[in-house]
Amino acid sequence: MPVPVLKQGDILIASVVTALTDKDLLHLKDELADKIGRMRARGVVVDVTALDVVDSYAARMLRGIAHTAKLRGAETVVVGIQPEVAFGMVELGLSLDDVETALDLEEALAHLRAVGARRGRRGQ
Amino acid sequence: MGEQLRKVGADQALAREIGLTAQNIDRRRKIVGLGPEDAKRIASIQDVVCKNADELTSTFFAYLGGLEEAKPLLANHDLLERARDLKRQHIVDMVRGDYGVEYVEQRLKLGILYAKAGLDTRAFLGAFHQLLRATGLVVMRHHAREAAEGFDCFTSLTKVAFMDIGIIVDVLVSERERTIRQQQEAIRELSTPVLQIRDRMLLLPIIGVVDTQRARLITENLLRAIRLNRAKVVVMDVTGVATIDSRVASHLLQTVTATRLMGARTIITGLSSEVAQSLAALGLDLGKFNTACDLQSGLEEAEGLLGYRLVSTPHSDGAAIS
Repeated sequence: MPVPVLKQGDILIASVVTALTDKDLLHLKDELADKIGRMRARGVVVDVTALDVVDSYAARMLRGIAHTAKLRGAETVVVGIQPEVAFGMVELGLSLDDVETALDLEEALAHLRAVGARRGRRGQ
Repeated sequence: MGEQLRKVGADQALAREIGLTAQNIDRRRKIVGLGPEDAKRIASIQDVVCKNADELTSTFFAYLGGLEEAKPLLANHDLLERARDLKRQHIVDMVRGDYGVEYVEQRLKLGILYAKAGLDTRAFLGAFHQLLRATGLVVMRHHAREAAEGFDCFTSLTKVAFMDIGIIVDVLVSERERTIRQQQEAIRELSTPVLQIRDRMLLLPIIGVVDTQRARLITENLLRAIRLNRAKVVVMDVTGVATIDSRVASHLLQTVTATRLMGARTIITGLSSEVAQSLAALGLDLGKFNTACDLQSGLEEAEGLLGYRLVSTPHSDGAAIS
């Protein structure tokens, strides 16, 4: 099942609602990369609240999304990693070191707004 | 009925724990050297011992009565009555010649009862020795004319007695170990509190030894608390952890990483200078550790991250509290 991507101002929100196949993830990555350019987005939020497993492939895809978005000029935040999932990921040695994380959507939007404000100040 | 069933279940569980299978019982008989000729000799004194069973039981408990260490058992009337019954049964069983699973289960019952009553092992051994001595006197009186024969009979009986001692001691030891395990579990449960000290800020004081199991528990508790309190910053205080080796450090690192995946930041406080030096000497990658020298500065830093500012207000009479 493809992941719906919503636009909220200059932020794209990809909300994962079911377990994802590898193909879905790949598709999500392509779609986000494309939409960031088309919609002039400055931030991407990937909500994984519904995932109860994040394996090494999914982790690599999440990092891939973040890196691609960065190159396209947008900041990525992964939100909603469940306690059990976080624990499992750590045990697998998946730390998502270079990806920003937040507790939930609200936190992520606040973070992106703060980053946006910093950038705006720098631009002036 | 249900009570009865549960009790049987507990006995069997304990039997399994100690490893009392038919082979094991066979082995125990071999170890004390109990053979067919012993059974024959014991059969020859069966009647006389059974006749004196009541008196022998009394000897055992009378001796216990004189011992300070046996107070817990003697003070409990119900248990004492049951122990008396079982002991009498024991004496009769000892000379019956059947030392199989059933016999051992009967001994287990008595052992569990002793353990429940908190009977001291030394007190039990002392009283058991008295019992054997009294039994020996009965046997020798019976074989008054052929002393050598009497001694052989008694020796055969002591073999059984020593097998029993082995079983009872195993039960007492295993019960004690179980108590210790339960207490350790309780300490473990108690020792991983996660406290909210400000809105969206948690304090995790770690005290004592951190092993893999405990590290796991701490991490699980913490992650759940982060979700529950929507925490953004966690202050982890390790002042109470005496030594941090590379294993503990990697556990801490895992906790920090998992916390970050949940979108919270961790500040570690209370690394003493010795610990810091040893960690540095181990050459671990500590780049991910966000540390503050003591709990106070850790809390201050966390407050700063959350945008709190501490302002001291003058007391109502105009003077600051000093």
